[in-house]
Amino acid sequence: MILNKRQRFWTKIVTYAVLLFFAVYCLFPFIWMTVTALKPIDEIRSSKPSFLIDSPTLENFKNVLFNTGFLTFFKNSLIVSVAATIITLLISIFAGYALSRFMRFKGIKATGGAMSLSQMVPPVLLLIPLYVLMQQYNLLNTHYSLILAYTTFMVPLCTFMLKGFFDSVPYEMEEAAEIDGCSRVRIIFQIVLPISIPSLLATSLFAFVNSWNEYMFGFVFINDEAQRTLTPGITLFKGLYTTDWGSIMSASVLAVIPIAVIFMYLQKYLIEGMAAGSVKG
Amino acid sequence: MKREQKKKLQAYWFVLPALVFFLLLIAYPLVKVLVDSFQYKTLLNPGQSAFAGFANYLNVIKGEYFSTALWNTVIWTFLSVAGEYVLGITSALALNQNVKGRGFFRGVIVIPWVVPIVVAGMTWQWMLAPDYGIINNWLVNIGILDEPYYWLGETDTALLTVTFVNIWRSFPFYTISLLAALQSVPKELIEAAVIDGAGIRTRFFKIILPQLKSVSLVLIFIHIIWTAVNFEFIWIMTEGGPLHASETLPIQIYRLAMKEFNVGAASSLASIMLVMMIIGFGAYFLITTLKRRNIKKRSEMT
Repeated sequence: MILNKRQRFWTKIVTYAVLLFFAVYCLFPFIWMTVTALKPIDEIRSSKPSFLIDSPTLENFKNVLFNTGFLTFFKNSLIVSVAATIITLLISIFAGYALSRFMRFKGIKATGGAMSLSQMVPPVLLLIPLYVLMQQYNLLNTHYSLILAYTTFMVPLCTFMLKGFFDSVPYEMEEAAEIDGCSRVRIIFQIVLPISIPSLLATSLFAFVNSWNEYMFGFVFINDEAQRTLTPGITLFKGLYTTDWGSIMSASVLAVIPIAVIFMYLQKYLIEGMAAGSVKG
Repeated sequence: MKREQKKKLQAYWFVLPALVFFLLLIAYPLVKVLVDSFQYKTLLNPGQSAFAGFANYLNVIKGEYFSTALWNTVIWTFLSVAGEYVLGITSALALNQNVKGRGFFRGVIVIPWVVPIVVAGMTWQWMLAPDYGIINNWLVNIGILDEPYYWLGETDTALLTVTFVNIWRSFPFYTISLLAALQSVPKELIEAAVIDGAGIRTRFFKIILPQLKSVSLVLIFIHIIWTAVNFEFIWIMTEGGPLHASETLPIQIYRLAMKEFNVGAASSLASIMLVMMIIGFGAYFLITTLKRRNIKKRSEMT
Protein backbone atom coordinates (compact mmCIF):
# COMPACT_ATOMS: atom_id res chain seq x y z
CA MET A 1 0.00 0.00 0.00
CA ILE A 2 1.22 3.47 -0.77
CA LEU A 3 1.55 5.31 2.51
CA ASN A 4 4.44 7.38 3.67
CA LYS A 5 6.60 6.18 6.48
CA ARG A 6 5.08 8.31 9.19
CA GLN A 7 1.54 7.31 8.27
CA ARG A 8 2.50 3.69 8.21
CA PHE A 9 4.05 4.00 11.66
CA TRP A 10 0.93 5.51 13.16
CA THR A 11 -1.37 3.03 11.47
CA LYS A 12 0.66 0.28 13.04
CA ILE A 13 0.57 1.83 16.49
CA VAL A 14 -3.18 2.35 16.33
CA THR A 15 -3.74 -1.17 15.04
CA TYR A 16 -1.74 -2.72 17.85
CA ALA A 17 -3.47 -0.55 20.42
CA VAL A 18 -6.88 -1.57 19.12
CA LEU A 19 -5.95 -5.25 19.01
CA LEU A 20 -4.51 -5.11 22.48
CA PHE A 21 -7.65 -3.46 23.78
CA PHE A 22 -9.80 -6.18 22.24
CA ALA A 23 -7.57 -8.93 23.55
CA VAL A 24 -7.85 -7.60 27.10
CA TYR A 25 -11.57 -6.96 26.73
CA CYS A 26 -12.21 -10.50 25.49
CA LEU A 27 -9.88 -12.36 27.82
CA PHE A 28 -10.39 -10.41 31.01
CA PRO A 29 -13.49 -12.29 32.23
CA PHE A 30 -11.77 -15.63 31.68
CA ILE A 31 -8.70 -14.60 33.56
CA TRP A 32 -10.83 -13.30 36.41
CA MET A 33 -12.85 -16.51 36.34
CA THR A 34 -9.72 -18.64 36.64
CA VAL A 35 -8.20 -16.41 39.32
CA THR A 36 -11.37 -16.63 41.39
CA ALA A 37 -11.50 -20.39 40.95
CA LEU A 38 -8.02 -20.68 42.42
CA LYS A 39 -8.60 -18.42 45.41
CA PRO A 40 -9.47 -19.55 48.93
CA ILE A 41 -12.79 -18.31 50.29
CA ASP A 42 -11.48 -15.48 52.43
CA GLU A 43 -9.63 -14.00 49.45
CA ILE A 44 -12.73 -14.26 47.26
CA ARG A 45 -14.71 -12.42 49.87
CA SER A 46 -12.20 -9.66 50.14
CA SER A 47 -13.44 -6.14 49.64
CA LYS A 48 -10.18 -5.41 47.82
CA PRO A 49 -10.25 -7.96 44.99
CA SER A 50 -6.94 -8.44 43.25
CA PHE A 51 -5.43 -10.55 40.50
CA LEU A 52 -2.75 -11.78 42.84
CA ILE A 53 -3.53 -14.86 44.86
CA ASP A 54 -1.84 -15.07 48.23
CA SER A 55 -2.36 -18.76 48.75
CA PRO A 56 -3.65 -20.47 45.61
CA THR A 57 -5.77 -23.53 46.27
CA LEU A 58 -7.56 -26.27 44.37
CA GLU A 59 -10.17 -26.41 47.13
CA ASN A 60 -12.90 -24.95 44.91
CA PHE A 61 -12.26 -27.47 42.16
CA LYS A 62 -12.24 -30.28 44.68
CA ASN A 63 -15.48 -29.06 46.16
CA VAL A 64 -17.15 -28.80 42.73
CA LEU A 65 -15.98 -32.22 41.62
CA PHE A 66 -16.75 -34.17 44.77
CA ASN A 67 -19.43 -32.35 46.76
CA THR A 68 -21.80 -31.21 44.03
CA GLY A 69 -23.66 -32.74 41.13
CA PHE A 70 -21.09 -31.37 38.72
CA LEU A 71 -19.85 -34.70 37.41
CA THR A 72 -23.41 -35.94 36.93
CA PHE A 73 -24.32 -32.76 35.06
CA PHE A 74 -21.19 -33.07 32.97
CA LYS A 75 -21.97 -36.67 32.10
CA ASN A 76 -25.58 -35.80 31.25
CA SER A 77 -24.47 -32.96 28.99
CA LEU A 78 -22.05 -35.29 27.29
CA ILE A 79 -24.71 -37.96 26.71
CA VAL A 80 -27.27 -35.49 25.41
CA SER A 81 -24.84 -33.58 23.20
CA VAL A 82 -23.26 -36.68 21.68
CA ALA A 83 -26.63 -38.33 21.05
CA ALA A 84 -28.11 -35.18 19.53
CA THR A 85 -25.03 -34.73 17.36
CA ILE A 86 -25.09 -38.29 16.04
CA ILE A 87 -28.82 -38.25 15.28
CA THR A 88 -28.58 -34.81 13.71
CA LEU A 89 -25.70 -35.93 11.55
CA LEU A 90 -27.45 -39.10 10.36
CA ILE A 91 -30.59 -37.22 9.42
CA SER A 92 -28.75 -34.29 7.89
CA ILE A 93 -26.43 -36.40 5.75
CA PHE A 94 -29.36 -37.98 3.91
CA ALA A 95 -31.44 -34.81 3.78
CA GLY A 96 -28.46 -32.72 2.71
CA TYR A 97 -27.57 -35.23 0.04
CA ALA A 98 -31.11 -35.27 -1.32
CA LEU A 99 -31.24 -31.47 -1.32
CA SER A 100 -27.92 -31.33 -3.10
CA ARG A 101 -28.67 -33.90 -5.82
CA PHE A 102 -32.43 -34.02 -6.26
CA MET A 103 -33.65 -30.45 -6.11
CA ARG A 104 -35.39 -31.14 -9.43
CA PHE A 105 -38.15 -33.04 -7.59
CA LYS A 106 -40.87 -30.77 -6.33
CA GLY A 107 -41.29 -32.52 -2.99
CA ILE A 108 -37.60 -32.22 -2.22
CA LYS A 109 -37.65 -28.56 -3.12
CA ALA A 110 -40.65 -28.01 -0.87
CA THR A 111 -38.95 -29.80 2.02
CA GLY A 112 -35.91 -27.61 1.53
CA GLY A 113 -38.10 -24.52 1.63
CA ALA A 114 -39.86 -25.66 4.78
CA MET A 115 -36.54 -26.36 6.44
CA SER A 116 -35.07 -22.99 5.60
CA LEU A 117 -38.19 -21.34 6.97
CA SER A 118 -37.93 -23.36 10.17
CA GLN A 119 -34.43 -21.96 10.69
CA MET A 120 -36.12 -18.66 11.34
CA VAL A 121 -38.45 -19.88 14.08
CA PRO A 122 -36.90 -18.95 17.41
CA PRO A 123 -36.88 -21.70 20.04
CA VAL A 124 -38.42 -19.52 22.73
CA LEU A 125 -41.66 -19.30 20.74
CA LEU A 126 -41.89 -23.09 20.65
CA LEU A 127 -40.99 -23.54 24.29
CA ILE A 128 -44.55 -23.90 25.59
CA PRO A 129 -45.98 -26.32 23.02
CA LEU A 130 -42.82 -28.42 23.18
CA TYR A 131 -43.06 -28.48 26.95
CA VAL A 132 -46.68 -29.61 26.80
CA LEU A 133 -45.79 -32.18 24.15
CA MET A 134 -43.01 -33.62 26.27
CA GLN A 135 -45.36 -33.68 29.23
CA GLN A 136 -47.97 -35.62 27.28
CA TYR A 137 -45.48 -38.26 26.22
CA ASN A 138 -43.88 -38.42 29.67
CA LEU A 139 -40.55 -37.27 28.35
CA LEU A 140 -39.99 -34.45 30.83
CA ASN A 141 -37.02 -35.13 33.09
CA THR A 142 -35.50 -37.49 30.58
CA HIS A 143 -32.58 -37.03 28.25
CA TYR A 144 -34.86 -37.89 25.34
CA SER A 145 -36.69 -34.57 25.62
CA LEU A 146 -33.46 -32.63 25.21
CA ILE A 147 -32.07 -34.87 22.51
CA LEU A 148 -35.28 -34.43 20.52
CA ALA A 149 -35.34 -30.67 20.99
CA TYR A 150 -31.66 -30.16 20.13
CA THR A 151 -31.89 -32.44 17.11
CA THR A 152 -34.92 -30.54 15.86
CA PHE A 153 -33.19 -27.20 15.98
CA MET A 154 -29.90 -28.47 14.59
CA VAL A 155 -31.17 -30.53 11.65
CA PRO A 156 -32.12 -27.65 9.32
CA LEU A 157 -28.86 -25.79 9.80
CA CYS A 158 -26.70 -28.91 9.51
CA THR A 159 -28.63 -30.05 6.46
CA PHE A 160 -27.84 -26.80 4.69
CA MET A 161 -24.23 -26.86 5.75
CA LEU A 162 -23.85 -30.38 4.39
CA LYS A 163 -25.79 -29.57 1.24
CA GLY A 164 -23.30 -26.79 0.57
CA PHE A 165 -20.40 -29.20 0.99
CA PHE A 166 -22.00 -31.98 -1.07
CA ASP A 167 -22.62 -29.50 -3.88
CA SER A 168 -18.88 -29.26 -4.34
CA VAL A 169 -18.46 -33.03 -4.71
CA PRO A 170 -18.47 -33.85 -8.46
CA TYR A 171 -21.35 -35.99 -9.60
CA GLU A 172 -19.44 -37.86 -12.33
CA MET A 173 -17.85 -40.22 -9.86
CA GLU A 174 -21.22 -41.20 -8.50
CA GLU A 175 -22.57 -41.81 -11.99
CA ALA A 176 -19.77 -44.22 -12.69
CA ALA A 177 -20.50 -46.09 -9.49
CA GLU A 178 -24.19 -46.09 -10.30
CA ILE A 179 -23.56 -47.72 -13.67
CA ASP A 180 -21.55 -50.37 -11.87
CA GLY A 181 -24.73 -51.14 -9.92
CA CYS A 182 -23.77 -49.51 -6.66
CA SER A 183 -26.72 -48.61 -4.46
CA ARG A 184 -27.36 -44.98 -3.55
CA VAL A 185 -26.75 -45.52 0.15
CA ARG A 186 -23.47 -47.23 -0.62
CA ILE A 187 -22.52 -44.37 -2.92
CA ILE A 188 -23.08 -41.93 -0.09
CA PHE A 189 -21.08 -43.90 2.43
CA GLN A 190 -18.26 -45.05 0.16
CA ILE A 191 -17.80 -42.14 -2.21
CA VAL A 192 -19.35 -38.93 -0.94
CA LEU A 193 -18.70 -39.11 2.79
CA PRO A 194 -15.02 -40.06 2.71
CA ILE A 195 -14.28 -36.95 0.60
CA SER A 196 -16.37 -34.79 2.92
CA ILE A 197 -14.75 -35.69 6.23
CA PRO A 198 -13.61 -32.12 7.07
CA SER A 199 -17.13 -30.84 6.43
CA LEU A 200 -18.65 -33.63 8.49
CA LEU A 201 -16.31 -32.70 11.27
CA ALA A 202 -17.29 -29.05 11.08
CA THR A 203 -20.98 -29.87 11.07
CA SER A 204 -20.83 -32.29 13.95
CA LEU A 205 -18.72 -29.91 16.02
CA PHE A 206 -21.16 -27.17 15.39
CA ALA A 207 -24.03 -29.37 16.51
CA PHE A 208 -22.08 -30.52 19.54
CA VAL A 209 -21.06 -27.04 20.70
CA ASN A 210 -24.58 -25.76 20.28
CA SER A 211 -26.05 -28.61 22.30
CA TRP A 212 -23.38 -28.28 24.95
CA ASN A 213 -24.03 -24.56 25.36
CA GLU A 214 -27.83 -24.72 25.29
CA TYR A 215 -29.55 -23.56 28.43
CA MET A 216 -33.25 -22.81 28.02
CA PHE A 217 -34.59 -26.27 27.20
CA GLY A 218 -32.26 -27.89 29.68
CA PHE A 219 -33.54 -25.52 32.32
CA VAL A 220 -37.24 -25.98 31.55
CA PHE A 221 -37.47 -29.67 30.60
CA ILE A 222 -35.33 -31.12 33.36
CA ASN A 223 -36.19 -30.77 37.02
CA ASP A 224 -34.57 -33.90 38.26
CA GLU A 225 -31.09 -33.49 39.72
CA ALA A 226 -29.92 -36.80 38.28
CA GLN A 227 -30.85 -35.89 34.71
CA ARG A 228 -29.83 -32.25 34.69
CA THR A 229 -27.31 -30.94 32.18
CA LEU A 230 -24.33 -28.73 32.81
CA THR A 231 -25.47 -25.24 31.87
CA PRO A 232 -28.59 -25.14 34.04
CA GLY A 233 -26.62 -27.10 36.64
CA ILE A 234 -24.06 -24.34 37.07
CA THR A 235 -26.70 -21.69 37.64
CA LEU A 236 -28.02 -23.73 40.54
CA PHE A 237 -24.77 -23.27 42.43
CA LYS A 238 -26.09 -19.82 43.10
CA GLY A 239 -27.66 -20.31 46.48
CA LEU A 240 -30.61 -18.31 47.62
CA TYR A 241 -28.72 -16.21 50.14
CA THR A 242 -25.03 -16.71 49.69
CA THR A 243 -23.37 -17.33 46.39
CA ASP A 244 -20.35 -19.57 46.36
CA TRP A 245 -18.48 -17.77 43.58
CA GLY A 246 -15.40 -19.92 44.03
CA SER A 247 -17.35 -23.04 43.10
CA ILE A 248 -19.30 -21.36 40.32
CA MET A 249 -16.12 -20.10 38.73
CA SER A 250 -14.39 -23.47 39.08
CA ALA A 251 -17.38 -25.16 37.48
CA SER A 252 -17.30 -22.55 34.71
CA VAL A 253 -13.64 -23.17 34.05
CA LEU A 254 -14.30 -26.91 33.83
CA ALA A 255 -17.30 -26.37 31.53
CA VAL A 256 -15.40 -24.08 29.19
CA ILE A 257 -12.31 -26.25 28.85
CA PRO A 258 -13.76 -28.93 26.54
CA ILE A 259 -15.27 -26.31 24.25
CA ALA A 260 -12.12 -24.20 24.23
CA VAL A 261 -9.92 -27.18 23.42
CA ILE A 262 -12.20 -28.41 20.65
CA PHE A 263 -12.47 -24.94 19.23
CA MET A 264 -8.77 -24.18 19.25
CA TYR A 265 -8.03 -27.29 17.28
CA LEU A 266 -10.81 -26.95 14.78
CA GLN A 267 -11.79 -23.32 14.60
CA LYS A 268 -10.93 -23.06 10.92
CA TYR A 269 -13.45 -25.73 9.93
CA LEU A 270 -16.06 -24.43 12.29
CA ILE A 271 -15.93 -20.87 10.98
CA GLU A 272 -15.95 -22.01 7.36
CA GLY A 273 -18.88 -24.28 8.05
CA MET A 274 -20.77 -21.55 9.85
CA ALA A 275 -20.29 -19.19 6.96
CA ALA A 276 -21.43 -21.80 4.45
CA GLY A 277 -24.51 -22.79 6.42
CA SER A 278 -25.89 -19.65 7.94
CA VAL A 279 -25.10 -17.04 5.35
CA LYS A 280 -25.82 -18.94 2.17
CA GLY A 281 -28.56 -21.19 3.57
CA MET B 1 -38.15 -43.06 -16.92
CA LYS B 2 -38.33 -45.91 -14.46
CA ARG B 3 -34.89 -45.08 -13.18
CA GLU B 4 -35.95 -41.51 -12.58
CA GLN B 5 -38.99 -42.76 -10.64
CA LYS B 6 -36.79 -44.93 -8.50
CA LYS B 7 -34.50 -42.01 -7.79
CA LYS B 8 -37.42 -39.86 -6.83
CA LEU B 9 -38.69 -42.42 -4.36
CA GLN B 10 -35.24 -42.75 -2.87
CA ALA B 11 -34.84 -39.00 -2.56
CA TYR B 12 -38.11 -38.84 -0.67
CA TRP B 13 -36.93 -41.54 1.71
CA PHE B 14 -33.78 -39.54 2.31
CA VAL B 15 -35.59 -36.39 3.42
CA LEU B 16 -38.32 -38.24 5.30
CA PRO B 17 -36.67 -38.25 8.75
CA ALA B 18 -35.85 -34.56 8.51
CA LEU B 19 -39.39 -33.87 7.37
CA VAL B 20 -40.87 -35.88 10.25
CA PHE B 21 -38.82 -33.90 12.74
CA PHE B 22 -39.89 -30.67 11.12
CA LEU B 23 -43.59 -31.52 11.07
CA LEU B 24 -43.72 -33.01 14.56
CA LEU B 25 -41.50 -30.64 16.49
CA ILE B 26 -41.65 -27.37 14.60
CA ALA B 27 -44.73 -27.13 12.37
CA TYR B 28 -47.15 -28.79 14.78
CA PRO B 29 -46.00 -26.78 17.85
CA LEU B 30 -46.18 -23.62 15.77
CA VAL B 31 -49.80 -24.33 14.88
CA LYS B 32 -50.40 -25.26 18.49
CA VAL B 33 -49.16 -21.86 19.65
CA LEU B 34 -51.61 -20.18 17.31
CA VAL B 35 -54.49 -22.39 18.40
CA ASP B 36 -53.70 -22.07 22.11
CA SER B 37 -53.54 -18.32 21.82
CA PHE B 38 -57.31 -18.37 21.31
CA GLN B 39 -57.97 -20.70 24.26
CA TYR B 40 -58.24 -20.27 27.97
CA LYS B 41 -55.64 -22.76 29.01
CA THR B 42 -53.33 -23.32 31.96
CA LEU B 43 -50.50 -25.69 32.70
CA LEU B 44 -52.07 -26.57 36.04
CA ASN B 45 -54.90 -28.31 34.26
CA PRO B 46 -53.58 -29.18 30.84
CA GLY B 47 -56.62 -31.12 29.70
CA GLN B 48 -59.04 -28.28 30.18
CA SER B 49 -59.47 -25.42 27.79
CA ALA B 50 -62.19 -23.20 26.43
CA PHE B 51 -62.44 -20.92 23.46
CA ALA B 52 -61.34 -17.44 24.40
CA GLY B 53 -61.48 -15.49 21.19
CA PHE B 54 -59.18 -12.54 21.38
CA ALA B 55 -59.41 -12.31 25.19
CA ASN B 56 -55.82 -13.54 25.69
CA TYR B 57 -54.50 -11.05 23.21
CA LEU B 58 -56.35 -8.20 24.85
CA ASN B 59 -55.18 -9.26 28.30
CA VAL B 60 -51.60 -9.51 27.18
CA ILE B 61 -51.57 -6.17 25.40
CA LYS B 62 -53.37 -4.43 28.23
CA GLY B 63 -51.10 -6.17 30.75
CA GLU B 64 -49.24 -3.89 33.10
CA TYR B 65 -45.82 -4.79 31.77
CA PHE B 66 -46.47 -5.33 28.08
CA SER B 67 -45.42 -1.86 26.96
CA THR B 68 -42.40 -2.00 29.27
CA ALA B 69 -41.35 -5.32 27.78
CA LEU B 70 -41.92 -4.11 24.24
CA TRP B 71 -39.86 -0.98 24.83
CA ASN B 72 -37.15 -2.99 26.60
CA THR B 73 -37.02 -5.38 23.66
CA VAL B 74 -36.52 -2.46 21.27
CA ILE B 75 -33.76 -0.88 23.39
CA TRP B 76 -32.05 -4.19 24.05
CA THR B 77 -32.11 -5.16 20.39
CA PHE B 78 -31.11 -1.77 19.00
CA LEU B 79 -28.26 -1.10 21.42
CA SER B 80 -26.97 -4.67 21.20
CA VAL B 81 -26.88 -4.76 17.42
CA ALA B 82 -25.43 -1.25 17.12
CA GLY B 83 -22.71 -1.93 19.70
CA GLU B 84 -21.87 -5.32 18.21
CA TYR B 85 -21.53 -3.82 14.76
CA VAL B 86 -19.25 -1.02 15.87
CA LEU B 87 -16.98 -3.37 17.84
CA GLY B 88 -17.17 -5.98 15.08
CA ILE B 89 -16.08 -3.64 12.31
CA THR B 90 -13.37 -2.02 14.44
CA SER B 91 -11.85 -5.34 15.36
CA ALA B 92 -12.20 -6.66 11.81
CA LEU B 93 -10.42 -3.61 10.37
CA ALA B 94 -7.61 -4.00 12.90
CA LEU B 95 -7.29 -7.72 12.21
CA ASN B 96 -7.20 -7.03 8.48
CA GLN B 97 -3.96 -5.03 8.87
CA ASN B 98 -0.70 -6.76 8.31
CA VAL B 99 0.54 -7.10 11.89
CA LYS B 100 2.43 -9.69 13.85
CA GLY B 101 0.42 -12.09 15.98
CA ARG B 102 -2.72 -11.81 13.87
CA GLY B 103 -3.59 -15.45 14.41
CA PHE B 104 -3.28 -15.03 18.16
CA PHE B 105 -5.47 -11.92 18.23
CA ARG B 106 -8.06 -13.57 16.02
CA GLY B 107 -8.21 -16.59 18.29
CA VAL B 108 -8.58 -14.43 21.38
CA ILE B 109 -11.29 -12.23 19.92
CA VAL B 110 -13.40 -15.24 18.96
CA ILE B 111 -13.35 -16.71 22.48
CA PRO B 112 -16.32 -14.86 24.05
CA TRP B 113 -18.60 -16.17 21.36
CA VAL B 114 -17.70 -19.82 21.95
CA VAL B 115 -18.40 -20.09 25.65
CA PRO B 116 -21.85 -20.96 26.97
CA ILE B 117 -24.03 -17.92 27.58
CA VAL B 118 -24.52 -19.23 31.11
CA VAL B 119 -20.82 -19.04 31.87
CA ALA B 120 -20.43 -15.62 30.26
CA GLY B 121 -23.44 -14.25 32.11
CA MET B 122 -22.40 -15.56 35.51
CA THR B 123 -18.80 -14.48 35.18
CA TRP B 124 -19.87 -10.93 34.41
CA GLN B 125 -22.37 -11.08 37.23
CA TRP B 126 -19.49 -11.91 39.54
CA MET B 127 -17.28 -9.15 38.18
CA LEU B 128 -20.12 -6.66 38.54
CA ALA B 129 -21.09 -7.75 42.05
CA PRO B 130 -21.57 -4.77 44.35
CA ASP B 131 -19.64 -6.04 47.36
CA TYR B 132 -16.78 -8.16 46.07
CA GLY B 133 -16.84 -7.37 42.35
CA ILE B 134 -13.66 -6.24 40.72
CA ILE B 135 -15.26 -3.73 38.37
CA ASN B 136 -16.91 -1.77 41.16
CA ASN B 137 -13.69 -1.90 43.10
CA TRP B 138 -11.74 -0.41 40.22
CA LEU B 139 -14.33 2.24 39.48
CA VAL B 140 -14.22 3.36 43.09
CA ASN B 141 -10.41 3.29 43.17
CA ILE B 142 -10.11 5.37 40.03
CA GLY B 143 -12.64 7.77 41.48
CA ILE B 144 -15.41 7.39 38.91
CA LEU B 145 -17.79 6.09 41.57
CA ASP B 146 -18.05 7.17 45.17
CA GLU B 147 -19.25 3.81 46.30
CA PRO B 148 -19.92 0.41 44.68
CA TYR B 149 -22.98 0.33 42.49
CA TYR B 150 -25.34 -2.61 42.05
CA TRP B 151 -25.31 -2.54 38.25
CA LEU B 152 -27.70 -5.45 37.74
CA GLY B 153 -29.93 -4.66 40.67
CA GLU B 154 -30.98 -1.09 39.97
CA THR B 155 -33.87 -0.41 37.65
CA ASP B 156 -32.08 2.22 35.63
CA THR B 157 -28.95 0.20 34.81
CA ALA B 158 -30.04 -3.46 34.77
CA LEU B 159 -31.04 -3.62 31.11
CA LEU B 160 -28.09 -1.54 29.93
CA THR B 161 -25.64 -3.69 31.85
CA VAL B 162 -27.02 -6.90 30.36
CA THR B 163 -26.88 -5.28 26.94
CA PHE B 164 -23.23 -4.43 27.50
CA VAL B 165 -22.44 -8.05 28.35
CA ASN B 166 -24.42 -9.29 25.38
CA ILE B 167 -22.37 -7.04 23.10
CA TRP B 168 -19.22 -8.48 24.63
CA ARG B 169 -20.32 -11.99 23.83
CA SER B 170 -21.84 -11.50 20.41
CA PHE B 171 -19.55 -9.11 18.53
CA PRO B 172 -16.98 -11.79 17.54
CA PHE B 173 -19.48 -13.23 15.08
CA TYR B 174 -19.46 -9.87 13.27
CA THR B 175 -15.69 -9.80 13.44
CA ILE B 176 -15.36 -13.13 11.68
CA SER B 177 -17.92 -12.34 9.00
CA LEU B 178 -16.70 -8.80 8.35
CA LEU B 179 -13.08 -9.93 8.29
CA ALA B 180 -13.92 -12.49 5.62
CA ALA B 181 -15.65 -9.76 3.61
CA LEU B 182 -12.80 -7.28 4.11
CA GLN B 183 -10.30 -9.74 2.76
CA SER B 184 -12.16 -9.81 -0.52
CA VAL B 185 -12.12 -6.01 -0.95
CA PRO B 186 -9.74 -5.45 -3.89
CA LYS B 187 -6.48 -3.86 -2.73
CA GLU B 188 -6.19 -1.86 -5.99
CA LEU B 189 -9.34 0.01 -5.12
CA ILE B 190 -7.88 1.29 -1.87
CA GLU B 191 -4.52 2.05 -3.43
CA ALA B 192 -6.18 4.06 -6.16
CA ALA B 193 -8.03 6.04 -3.52
CA VAL B 194 -4.80 6.73 -1.65
CA ILE B 195 -3.20 8.04 -4.86
CA ASP B 196 -6.21 10.29 -5.35
CA GLY B 197 -5.50 11.69 -1.90
CA ALA B 198 -8.37 10.13 0.03
CA GLY B 199 -7.81 10.30 3.80
CA ILE B 200 -8.52 7.49 6.19
CA ARG B 201 -12.03 8.65 6.83
CA THR B 202 -12.96 9.03 3.17
CA ARG B 203 -11.46 5.64 2.42
CA PHE B 204 -13.49 4.04 5.17
CA PHE B 205 -16.86 5.62 4.42
CA LYS B 206 -16.63 5.86 0.61
CA ILE B 207 -14.84 2.63 -0.25
CA ILE B 208 -14.66 0.04 2.51
CA LEU B 209 -18.09 0.46 4.04
CA PRO B 210 -19.96 0.26 0.69
CA GLN B 211 -18.01 -2.92 -0.11
CA LEU B 212 -19.22 -4.42 3.16
CA LYS B 213 -22.80 -3.38 2.62
CA SER B 214 -24.37 -6.70 1.69
CA VAL B 215 -22.58 -8.67 4.42
CA SER B 216 -23.47 -5.98 6.94
CA LEU B 217 -27.13 -6.01 5.99
CA VAL B 218 -27.39 -9.78 6.40
CA LEU B 219 -25.49 -9.68 9.70
CA ILE B 220 -27.56 -6.90 11.15
CA PHE B 221 -30.81 -8.40 10.02
CA ILE B 222 -30.05 -11.86 11.41
CA HIS B 223 -28.92 -10.37 14.68
CA ILE B 224 -31.96 -8.15 15.07
CA ILE B 225 -34.02 -11.34 15.03
CA TRP B 226 -31.65 -13.37 17.20
CA THR B 227 -31.32 -10.61 19.76
CA ALA B 228 -35.00 -9.76 19.94
CA VAL B 229 -35.89 -13.37 20.72
CA ASN B 230 -32.95 -14.08 23.02
CA PHE B 231 -34.07 -15.48 26.33
CA GLU B 232 -31.00 -16.84 28.05
CA PHE B 233 -28.84 -13.80 28.61
CA ILE B 234 -31.38 -11.69 30.40
CA TRP B 235 -32.80 -14.64 32.30
CA ILE B 236 -29.43 -15.69 33.66
CA MET B 237 -28.30 -12.23 34.66
CA THR B 238 -31.44 -10.57 36.01
CA GLU B 239 -34.45 -12.85 35.39
CA GLY B 240 -36.09 -9.75 33.92
CA GLY B 241 -35.82 -7.82 37.15
CA PRO B 242 -35.57 -5.74 39.20
CA LEU B 243 -39.25 -4.85 39.04
CA HIS B 244 -39.50 -5.90 35.37
CA ALA B 245 -36.86 -3.31 34.47
CA SER B 246 -35.06 -5.71 32.15
CA GLU B 247 -38.03 -7.82 31.06
CA THR B 248 -38.21 -8.29 27.30
CA LEU B 249 -40.94 -10.08 25.37
CA PRO B 250 -39.29 -13.54 25.46
CA ILE B 251 -38.82 -13.22 29.21
CA GLN B 252 -42.45 -12.25 29.53
CA ILE B 253 -43.51 -15.27 27.48
CA TYR B 254 -41.53 -17.43 29.85
CA ARG B 255 -42.95 -15.74 32.93
CA LEU B 256 -46.53 -16.07 31.70
CA ALA B 257 -46.09 -19.74 30.90
CA MET B 258 -43.79 -21.10 33.57
CA LYS B 259 -44.53 -18.81 36.51
CA GLU B 260 -48.17 -17.98 36.00
CA PHE B 261 -48.94 -21.20 34.09
CA ASN B 262 -51.11 -19.20 31.71
CA VAL B 263 -50.54 -21.06 28.43
CA GLY B 264 -53.19 -19.06 26.60
CA ALA B 265 -51.62 -15.71 27.41
CA ALA B 266 -48.09 -16.93 26.77
CA SER B 267 -49.19 -18.38 23.43
CA SER B 268 -50.82 -15.17 22.33
CA LEU B 269 -47.69 -13.20 23.23
CA ALA B 270 -45.64 -15.74 21.28
CA SER B 271 -48.03 -15.33 18.36
CA ILE B 272 -47.65 -11.57 18.51
CA MET B 273 -43.88 -11.98 18.34
CA LEU B 274 -44.27 -14.44 15.50
CA VAL B 275 -46.34 -11.95 13.52
CA MET B 276 -43.75 -9.24 14.16
CA MET B 277 -41.05 -11.55 12.85
CA ILE B 278 -43.03 -12.47 9.77
CA ILE B 279 -43.57 -8.77 9.05
CA GLY B 280 -39.85 -8.19 9.58
CA PHE B 281 -38.85 -11.02 7.25
CA GLY B 282 -41.45 -9.93 4.71
CA ALA B 283 -40.10 -6.38 4.68
CA TYR B 284 -36.55 -7.65 4.40
CA PHE B 285 -37.26 -9.91 1.46
CA LEU B 286 -39.31 -7.23 -0.25
CA ILE B 287 -36.48 -4.73 0.07
CA THR B 288 -33.80 -7.13 -1.07
CA THR B 289 -35.78 -8.41 -4.06
CA LEU B 290 -36.69 -4.88 -5.09
CA LYS B 291 -33.04 -3.92 -4.89
CA ARG B 292 -31.96 -6.93 -6.85
CA ARG B 293 -34.51 -6.09 -9.52
CA ASN B 294 -33.28 -2.50 -9.63
CA ILE B 295 -29.69 -3.61 -10.04
CA LYS B 296 -30.74 -5.98 -12.79
CA LYS B 297 -32.65 -3.22 -14.57
CA ARG B 298 -29.72 -0.88 -14.29
CA SER B 299 -27.30 -3.43 -15.62
CA GLU B 300 -29.67 -4.21 -18.49
CA MET B 301 -29.87 -0.53 -19.37
CA THR B 302 -26.13 -0.04 -19.56
